[in-house]
Amino acid sequence: MSLNLIYSVREGLLSLRRSRLATLWTLSTITITLTIFGVFLVLTFNIRSMIDKVRQQILLEVFIDNSLPTKDIENLQEEINSRSGVQETTFISKDAALARFKTEWGDDPLEVLDENPLPMSFEIRIAPSQRSENQIQDLVRSIEQLPGVDEVVYRGGIFKLVNTYGRYIYLADGVLLFLVLTSALFLVSNTLRLTILSQHKNIQIMRLVGATRTFIRRPYLVVGLLQGASGGILASVLVWVVFKLIRLRFPVHFIIPAPVIIAPILLGILLSFWGSQISVKRFLTDI
Amino acid sequence: MITLCDVWYRAGGNQILSEVNLSVESGESICLIGPSGAGKSTLLRLINMSILPTRGSVHVDCHDSRDMTASEIPILRRKLGFIFQDFKLLDDRDVYENVAFALWATGVRRSRIKKRVFQVLAEVGLSHKRYAMISELSGGEQQRVAIARALANEPFVLLADEPTGNLDPDTTREILDLVRRINGKGTAVLMATHKEDLVQNLPSRIVKIDNGRVTE
Repeated sequence: MSLNLIYSVREGLLSLRRSRLATLWTLSTITITLTIFGVFLVLTFNIRSMIDKVRQQILLEVFIDNSLPTKDIENLQEEINSRSGVQETTFISKDAALARFKTEWGDDPLEVLDENPLPMSFEIRIAPSQRSENQIQDLVRSIEQLPGVDEVVYRGGIFKLVNTYGRYIYLADGVLLFLVLTSALFLVSNTLRLTILSQHKNIQIMRLVGATRTFIRRPYLVVGLLQGASGGILASVLVWVVFKLIRLRFPVHFIIPAPVIIAPILLGILLSFWGSQISVKRFLTDI
Repeated sequence: MITLCDVWYRAGGNQILSEVNLSVESGESICLIGPSGAGKSTLLRLINMSILPTRGSVHVDCHDSRDMTASEIPILRRKLGFIFQDFKLLDDRDVYENVAFALWATGVRRSRIKKRVFQVLAEVGLSHKRYAMISELSGGEQQRVAIARALANEPFVLLADEPTGNLDPDTTREILDLVRRINGKGTAVLMATHKEDLVQNLPSRIVKIDNGRVTE
């Protein structure tokens, strides 16, 4: 390690120790800001995955003529598969439909009826790129016209809801994320400025004796990195604890993916590095 | 070595310096005398290039204020020693660290730092107090530490801005003796003061400044 770098790290650590109050204040601000960011990120992730899950469940049910021979069923399936917007079709035989009925309802229709009343069907999963209301309606109409198709059932209510409100949720989400990030940058750079202001005499003397701007700036970047990383780690732990506690008290299961838990640490490092660089730069031109 | 050629300086609507011409030769000692607000400190700051003249030029060693870049300023300052009335020391460090700070900041090697710090502390007579905290020192001792720091990088000129302003008469004499000794060893001295009687016994060229103009 070069002498200058050793000096920067040593001075950075010393300045943290010397201005304990400013350090504590900065660390608390960074931790709180990043915790809010982390909680928001986990909520965003879970809302988005819920919306995606609902969208994944959007199916068309195509009921087909019970008298259709196997060969024609296969042709019909191929025909449906070739339609634009169809991602996947699954054939549900009468037996499979009966088994599903029994599982879902707990009753066996054959106890009261002589034969299985449930029709054969195809379940159609729609490609994500073709999930607009108009595209689905077009697909429904085109399948309904195929020979051997009795009825196409599209349970569009929930889908309409998700499609309409999903857009607003994403928009609100983006705006909130922007606000959280902007305020995080503002808070972090301002609190780091406090630390740097408390060291103004050192900076003045360094300039007086001929230290270069890079040399003056480096210890404060070390300070920024250390505070950002520590604040980020503390925030990640707090986010994890917050959702653990929610899980203990309420029957809601939030998924906390690893990248989301690492995000406050990375953001902390990034913001502090950037914030301290801006602050010290501004301060160097001030005196 | 240092030349101020038709220097004018204006700040905040006030004309601080007008038509200043001054040169400092190698090893010379100059006392800049004038009342408070006459422009003495501004003149020193112009040499240090903390500020640049509004008109005219300041030439220090091989540096010229007219084509000075930001990256050149630290290089220039390493050749100058600067002391102040309020010492400008780091109160949370000891004597050794205050002097070493100037060398650390200019990228001097560790082995050289130790040797040089002991050397300059011996020069100002503070070797025995090298590990004392600044708050434990008297005003005179603090100014000696500031002088040691100013000398650490072996400047060719020592710029002193009212160096005895905060000191009693006895300590003032000690500091002036020290400055004279430093000058005797070949370092030029440019000292600004408002106390005319202070410089009567100094073997220095007197430059008077009043209302931003050099009068004699």
